[in-house]
Amino acid sequence: MAEKLEAKFGLPEQVMFCRRCVMSNQRPASSVEFRHTPTQRHRTLRFDQEGICDACRFAERKEQIDWEQREKELLRLLDRFRRQDGAYDCLVPGSAGKDSCYAAHILKYKYGMHPLTVTWPPLLYTEIGWKNFRNWLEVGGFDNVTFKPNGRVQRLLTRLSIENLFHPFQTFILGQKNVPPKLALKYEIPLIFYGENEAEYGNPVADNETSLRDKSFYAMDNLSDVRLAGVPIRDLMDKHHLSLNDLAAYLPPNYKELERSKIEVQYLGYYLKWTPQEAYYYAVEHTGFEANPERTEGTYSKYISLDDRMDGLHYYTTFIKFGIGRATYDASQEIRNRHLTQDEGIALVKRFDGEFPKKYFNEVMEYIGMKPERFMELCDQFRSPHLWKKENGGWKLRHQVS
Amino acid sequence: MSSLQVAIIDCGMGNLFSVKLACERAGLSPVVTSDKRDILTAAAVVLPGVGAFGTAMDTLKKLDLVEPLRDVAASRTLLVGICLGMQLLMTESREFGLQKGLNIVEGEVVRLESYNSEQRCKVPQVGWNRIFRANGTWHRSPLEGLAEGEFMYFVHSFYCKPADPAAVMSTTRYGALEFCSSLKHRNVLAFQFHPERSGPQGLAIYRNLASIMTNLPETNG
Amino acid sequence: MTIRLIPRLDIKGPNLVKGIHLEGLRVLGRPERFARLYYEQGADELLYMDVVASLYQRNSLLDIVKKTSQEIFIPLTVGGGLRTLDDIREVLRAGADKVSLNTAAVKNPEFVRDAARRFGSSTIVVSIEAIRKPDGSYEAYTDNGREKTGVDAFEWAVRAAELGAGEIMVTSIDHEGTGKGFDLELTFRIAQTVPIPVIACGGAGAVDHVGEVLSHGHVDAVCLASILHYNIVRRHEGMDEVTGEGNMEYLKQPRSFSKIQDASLQEIKAHLLRQGMACRPVRSTEVHV
Repeated sequence: MAEKLEAKFGLPEQVMFCRRCVMSNQRPASSVEFRHTPTQRHRTLRFDQEGICDACRFAERKEQIDWEQREKELLRLLDRFRRQDGAYDCLVPGSAGKDSCYAAHILKYKYGMHPLTVTWPPLLYTEIGWKNFRNWLEVGGFDNVTFKPNGRVQRLLTRLSIENLFHPFQTFILGQKNVPPKLALKYEIPLIFYGENEAEYGNPVADNETSLRDKSFYAMDNLSDVRLAGVPIRDLMDKHHLSLNDLAAYLPPNYKELERSKIEVQYLGYYLKWTPQEAYYYAVEHTGFEANPERTEGTYSKYISLDDRMDGLHYYTTFIKFGIGRATYDASQEIRNRHLTQDEGIALVKRFDGEFPKKYFNEVMEYIGMKPERFMELCDQFRSPHLWKKENGGWKLRHQVS
Repeated sequence: MSSLQVAIIDCGMGNLFSVKLACERAGLSPVVTSDKRDILTAAAVVLPGVGAFGTAMDTLKKLDLVEPLRDVAASRTLLVGICLGMQLLMTESREFGLQKGLNIVEGEVVRLESYNSEQRCKVPQVGWNRIFRANGTWHRSPLEGLAEGEFMYFVHSFYCKPADPAAVMSTTRYGALEFCSSLKHRNVLAFQFHPERSGPQGLAIYRNLASIMTNLPETNG
Repeated sequence: MTIRLIPRLDIKGPNLVKGIHLEGLRVLGRPERFARLYYEQGADELLYMDVVASLYQRNSLLDIVKKTSQEIFIPLTVGGGLRTLDDIREVLRAGADKVSLNTAAVKNPEFVRDAARRFGSSTIVVSIEAIRKPDGSYEAYTDNGREKTGVDAFEWAVRAAELGAGEIMVTSIDHEGTGKGFDLELTFRIAQTVPIPVIACGGAGAVDHVGEVLSHGHVDAVCLASILHYNIVRRHEGMDEVTGEGNMEYLKQPRSFSKIQDASLQEIKAHLLRQGMACRPVRSTEVHV
């Protein structure tokens, strides 16, 4: 078949699936969100010569790490920062998903640290998400600062990110990444602990061997570089009559301030072996975490990413743009942690991937002020021809894992 | 023909596999069959069963096993009924109107419910219950060596009332009712409970059966 | 009336797993080993559930059913993904005594009637896995606690009994795996409403819970999982090779699961007997097959 199909977003033209998990080479690596443009060429998940993806290779290496040694490193690190004078000695960002429940609890109750939890809340809490958030603080026992951004601005930016980038989660990603270092600066907390490392999910393996998070991900040195929802800040301010302060919540901390303060950002996943399901059990045991009472739409699991009514929509957009739905993300992760075999993952992906998130769809559309039909139009615009073909009046993925 | 060959009648229902296994454990050579020749030449015949009385009788008729079973009963070959199999041996059953059984042991089959006076006793009885001596010792019976009040596994909605009280080998209480949980009538033995599902005590019954078989004078040669 | 204690083994592939709220596939060991121990410790019946069969649309318990029925002479119930009469027949042929139906039965209730007719009512257990709704009603779920059905659990229990089910097994998804005790309201209401035996499942985290569900829940049998499995893991009785598929992380560093005060079957039965509840006592003599 000689027909040359356009591959949008700089995605690899040839679609390949990892030989171990169910992830495809179309998966974008984390990028610097505030440089994200509509014509962005994404860096994607790397596959090596044996057809195995970076994330699977990382999982392999995880098995060979000397975790006792890593824990010793953690203890040395914590000894440097631990304070007994009543102040917070570390900051744990999170919204009471299983991972932040685990991180905060183990740091405080096993390792004797004094964390401040910091939350950038979901756009719209689900009932189970809100319950788990309360339990995190009430049952787990933590101080928490929740930074809720200006709703009007957030809704606008969410709508624009969908229009321009088909990326509803940008505001959440920006807030979650940028607010903790800013609050750490304000509260003078020199240590921030994120959970598992992004390489778990397929960002370059090289990032991982040191646990310090790549500073380029969250610092900026010049305002004119910054884009939100794919639009340069100046244009946003002019067109929508916003002040810089209206957008400040999404902006990263000033690089120079960050450098001066010597704040360290660490991944707990570097020091403690991270098994997603065990984080779930831990969270149930210690912070009153409860799984979703029903299957999360688009996947088979009940314990991953439960708290935002917009989660389903986000994964639907990744399905449209990259051909990768929620079931693929969940199954790949579970295959790498050996909860599932590859065959089981494939069966689950076939059954659930790309399921339309109808439970909250209308509610979310209404909340952000977008017409459902407009969303559906955008779906078609953002489908890449090299991934999708039209068949019997509907769209079908050209390639599926098997 | 091996003196330990046991024909287990296959009328399509029930866990024949466990009956077969229990026989093997007791040193017997079981064969699951619906062929009357096997039945007429075996050293012992087991009639197990689960399900509806009427359906089972129809199946026996279709397989042309009614007369062969009566012949076995009239001979000296051991005939062992288990659960529904025990009920089929009786004269008649009150399940869905009056239905005729094999009439090998005189008596009728009645629903448990009529005697279900205690709130907590549901029908069917599913679970472990105790068997007690009815007519003197269990010596030289399949219940030899078992303790008085031993627990056996029951699953049934009906029970048998043999006309001859001397045939009752053990009784069991369910709610206010005391019913016949096993019987012995010449060479016919029957258990309302499932010995092959009653743990080691149940397997002991199969070993006793094997013992009884080996001590019987030569049957059909 | 003698009550029954039934260890429930959730199985995925070759492994015994145990989740919370029917989620999570933490491996605790090999099912055959646990089954054997439970038989020796006085289990009244055994239950095997293939927890991923409906989800993955496959059936894979036949081997372990065969192996178990060679060695263990108490009733065995098998469930998980049984969709057709042939599926049931195969499992019974492999040595099971009863089958448990959920997903297929909710989707097509007549399946219960057909199965009861074909295999006998006493062979068919209908399993109802329910979640309590904010308004106090209980909704039945299928596919290992994943799919809403809109079906009221109590109405469904009555219907299932009418269609010919021999027993009802009721599991509280909210309670299961948490160790906080059984959902007494759910079990009591079902036990009072249906004329057939009811088995309570989900939530036992202490010996007292078992007595409670029997006296307040009025059930005829109790399924136990976490409380027994973690007991075996803790005493290292179930320790097996920790390689191969599955989430083995917990086994690699066993520690007790603090929500559960684990107990053995002997301890539970002794407790029940002291409370005056009739159950089959555990024999102290060696099991001898």
